[in-house]
Amino acid sequence: MKKQYFVCIALIALLSFVSLPLFSQGSKDSAVDGPVSIDLWYGAAVTEAGPPPADWVGFDIIKEKLNIDLKLTTLPSNESDQDVKIQAAAAANNLPDLFMVRRDVLARLVSQGLVAPVDDLYEKMPTRTATHYNEVSRNHTKFNGKSYGLADPGSIVKNEGLLIRKDWLDNLGLSIPTTTDELLDVMRAFTFDDPDGNGKNDTYGYGAFQEVNNYEAWPGRRLEPILGAFGVEGTWDMTVANAGLTILKPEFYDAMVYLKKMVDEGIIDPNWLAYKKDDFRAAWKQGRFGIMREQNAAFAAQSNYAPFDKNFPNGEWVVMDPIKGPKGHASIGPYTAGFRIYAISAKAVEEGKKEKIAELLEWMASDEGYYLLGWGVEGVNYTKDANGIPVADGLPDPDLAFSGPVGQTVTQLRNMVFYNGDIELYARYPKYITATSKKEMSALDVLRTMQSKQWTPAIGSDMLPIPSADLKRFYEQGLSEFITGKRTLNRTNWNTWIAEFKKLGGQDWNDKGVAFAKENNLLNE
Amino acid sequence: MQVFQKAICADERVWGNTSASHSLKQCPSALCGKVGKVQETPCIILPSCPYAESVRLQMAERTAKQQLLRDIKRHKSVYALLAIPLIYYIIFKYVPIFNGQIAFKDYMALDGVLGSQWIGFEHFRTFVNSYYFVELLRNTLMYSLGKLVFSLPLAIILAIAIYESNRPILRKTVQTLAYLPHFLSWVIMYGILLALLAPGDGIVNDVIKLFGGKPIDFLTNTDAFPWIVILSDAWKEMGWSAIIFIAALMGIDPSLFEAALVEGANSWQRVRYITLPSIRPVIVIVVLLRLGTILDAGFNQIFMLYSTPVYSVADIIDTWVYRQGLLEFQFGLATAVGLFKGVIGMFLILGSNRLVKRFGGSSLY
Amino acid sequence: MKKRRRFTSVAVKPTAADHSFNFLVDLFLGLLLLIIAIPLWSTITLSFRPNDYIGNNLEGMFLLPWNWSTSAYEALLGNAGFLLAFGNSVKILIGGVASALLLTIPLAYVLSIPTLPGRRYLNLFVIVPYVFNVGMIPTYLLVTNIGLIDTLPAVYIPVAISTYNCLIMRSFFEGIPNELKESARIDGASEIQILLRIILPLSKAIIMTIGLFYGVSFWNNFFHAMLYLNSNALQPLPILLRNILMASGMNEYVEVSAFGDAPIAAIKAASVFMSAIPMVAAYPFIQKYFTKGTLLGSVKG
Repeated sequence: MKKQYFVCIALIALLSFVSLPLFSQGSKDSAVDGPVSIDLWYGAAVTEAGPPPADWVGFDIIKEKLNIDLKLTTLPSNESDQDVKIQAAAAANNLPDLFMVRRDVLARLVSQGLVAPVDDLYEKMPTRTATHYNEVSRNHTKFNGKSYGLADPGSIVKNEGLLIRKDWLDNLGLSIPTTTDELLDVMRAFTFDDPDGNGKNDTYGYGAFQEVNNYEAWPGRRLEPILGAFGVEGTWDMTVANAGLTILKPEFYDAMVYLKKMVDEGIIDPNWLAYKKDDFRAAWKQGRFGIMREQNAAFAAQSNYAPFDKNFPNGEWVVMDPIKGPKGHASIGPYTAGFRIYAISAKAVEEGKKEKIAELLEWMASDEGYYLLGWGVEGVNYTKDANGIPVADGLPDPDLAFSGPVGQTVTQLRNMVFYNGDIELYARYPKYITATSKKEMSALDVLRTMQSKQWTPAIGSDMLPIPSADLKRFYEQGLSEFITGKRTLNRTNWNTWIAEFKKLGGQDWNDKGVAFAKENNLLNE
Repeated sequence: MQVFQKAICADERVWGNTSASHSLKQCPSALCGKVGKVQETPCIILPSCPYAESVRLQMAERTAKQQLLRDIKRHKSVYALLAIPLIYYIIFKYVPIFNGQIAFKDYMALDGVLGSQWIGFEHFRTFVNSYYFVELLRNTLMYSLGKLVFSLPLAIILAIAIYESNRPILRKTVQTLAYLPHFLSWVIMYGILLALLAPGDGIVNDVIKLFGGKPIDFLTNTDAFPWIVILSDAWKEMGWSAIIFIAALMGIDPSLFEAALVEGANSWQRVRYITLPSIRPVIVIVVLLRLGTILDAGFNQIFMLYSTPVYSVADIIDTWVYRQGLLEFQFGLATAVGLFKGVIGMFLILGSNRLVKRFGGSSLY
Repeated sequence: MKKRRRFTSVAVKPTAADHSFNFLVDLFLGLLLLIIAIPLWSTITLSFRPNDYIGNNLEGMFLLPWNWSTSAYEALLGNAGFLLAFGNSVKILIGGVASALLLTIPLAYVLSIPTLPGRRYLNLFVIVPYVFNVGMIPTYLLVTNIGLIDTLPAVYIPVAISTYNCLIMRSFFEGIPNELKESARIDGASEIQILLRIILPLSKAIIMTIGLFYGVSFWNNFFHAMLYLNSNALQPLPILLRNILMASGMNEYVEVSAFGDAPIAAIKAASVFMSAIPMVAAYPFIQKYFTKGTLLGSVKG
């Protein structure tokens, strides 16, 4: 019997060795004269709309002008999927020439030696660098003193705001709350006094959902205005005086007590722990709650506001100031500069494609590239209005408009050229009249109001070290258990829990973060 | 020289061979016919064995080696049939296992699988020493065993009910409808669960409130969550899992039922003595195979359903690996956990297979 | 007595136990029907729900069909990538099921031959990779190195034999009476002939079933498509579906959604049903092969 087992194992080993040649990398074929082929893995503007068609005019222009054969791969819309795809390709040393990547993943690709520094590229792309890159963006991708990725402008900063149902306040004869105590009263009134006058007990004060990622810890940004009132907004306090994890500050406990009160009194929508983003967004359109933190376009862009407008023609949300806490602190939340990083693989540099990539990116930033990638072909996908703003009016085939289902496919690369300039903002957020209530709305106006409110600068907080999965879970699970009552929230339990947190690596995380922030001059006065 | 028949017993070897491993005790009782002796060695003779009747081996004069060679020769064309699947297995199943050595390495993409540094059991230690290890293991087993003991019997009952029902329309409708939920992804399932169970406006809580009860936060409550996972899985997969048992039921020889009727058996007895035993081999295979992957508790489902308040009862090995390994470029770790799960699964399969053999069932190998 | 249908001509009076059995069977099926149908109905109607009923499950469920909105389905069919993705999925389905069955049937048959020397080791050889799932990267390395990456076969070839399906099929083959195979062997038939002439005709039900299992797994295979397919022209339906289902930030950065005015929740539900239709439609055809006592005639004959 033993012998047979041995033979079996030996056989398997032998066969494995026979198949070893399978591991050898196939030789790369390099074309000498023809166009240089560049693989680009990009983040589509609207992934679900579909990729640019194979006969997209852009491919021909790029081939003709730059002698580049551009091969596109749309990254999955889900960030975790993106990470998995890129990391798998990285593991096989098969990264594309140019690809979008999140900073955490980039950091690991750098340590594996798979991406190339791009410091020398900035001066080769003067047009692009002028509008896209600055000191902060270069720092964002800096590891060991070198910049390893092009951090293009991403989402607009401070594009969220605290919104309240003005019509509900008016119905109940209340005014916009300014302090945490007033906020409690308003939330109670919204919950128990039938603010919409439908005779049903179906409304709540505050609406939220858990929105966390590697840099934003529990309970996430939808509740930052509450934490902000206690001065513990964001995962990190980025001030020189108090640098460190906010959870370690005594005020965090007070914020938790306040939050727990909201939950216990039932004045926060009880579904908030179960909601995902879409559910939350469906909920405010159904008039379930009267206070929330929401993004400007998700709130005010035409197609997003339309259902609310239809359901509540008299409904009105207004952007309010952040709530003042007991010590007079107030903040909508922390803000960082949002970036979309494009990295160049070391392999592409070895193959001598760096120059070509720079040419491509610089061309994209030229007027020709900017309008082609941003809005398509003039007269087909867009026209320019009197102020030179691209609009979708007066096109021969309205289906092809840049904002239409088909037109969207030819502008999928627009995030590679947009830098949140005025033209883009006007084109993206045009003024419109709502269908039912005939209000004039503009997501851009809402954005401007939101940006004028009090925010806490935390630029670079998304570069600080992230906790291990266990520590992160301990952090999030503990906080949520205090809120749901699975752990009793009192000083003793809180301190015990914080001590355990520190022991598990929380203190270490805190110290490393502070040291990193100091080293890189990320702290504010 | 003694002429005797070959038996189709569990290990397909000829009984009577002098090998000590073929003692009487190991013979699965269900297959045993008569017991006799060949050259002082106890052996089992199955005169009724249909295979034997055509073959009639003359065993005693052969050595084991000759017999093996003869058997191999006789099955030449079988091995030819096997060639392509075998090559397939080596390339697509065993080469990845070979690559799985990155579980013991500090994998660097530029150095490749063979060139990376050995680091021994480091990744395994990281996993086993992780803060939540015991809890992860407990939750994983809770869900996979829970699904096994809950969903599987339900699927079998469903298959038998569909088979036995006298109402063709009901039968057909249930069969087709029960199959549909398999196609709903967990994203959609979460929407359904939320509509049913949300503490604020879920239908179930509306009913609870109607009767004056306090709404229950099913989805974020540590007591309710495990049930939600197991029940929603049963709802989604029951009809799908039943298909294989329905297929098995179709193979039952109806004359068995006639005989039972003549004997005066009622419906319950028919199910107990004919239907269930007839599909037992398939049930056994399914259970054994499920045991082999006991530490897979349904990543997609948990990942979609869980949230921070229920981590303590929801976090399973796979979700941990996802958060810790995949998102942080720790492929060695992910592979190590895969191997860890494989070792446990292998032990379970080998152990339960032995048990099954002892009780005379059809086994996995 | 008329209840003693289907099986037999033997007339036996049903006893009280039979009645209770039949009652319980029908009760079970009836209850199950309700439990399955209600949430399913709510999801189906969700896909037809007009914008103003989104979030309103109870009323939405009882909305009369003439108030339904097909905007979600129109938007999906109008999606630029939908037909392309559907075509790719069909290619994967056909290629996948064909190669899976061609590989699985011979293997399952060989493993089912009780007299085969080394059968035990062959079985172990097949089971080991099933249990030891080394995960994504080792397989990804293989697929890259043999040049399958960014081709449609990359999605189905690495999973063309599912050990689970293979062993299930094996146990069905084992159930086929030995007399049949033996008599053929004595007549001098080769193993391949036995497989083709005796085993396959008797195993239609299980082959269809396993084919269905394979088909559905290839049809729904999101993960491998996401990993192995790069070219936009190769993306199959599950990728599109996932992009729709996971696009929770939909509309955040754009002025108009990719799907016009159709509500997102309806789009999501509709996309699931649209992609499930081919597989759901295939099921009744497969059920046709589920006839009782499939083996009867041949064994006796």
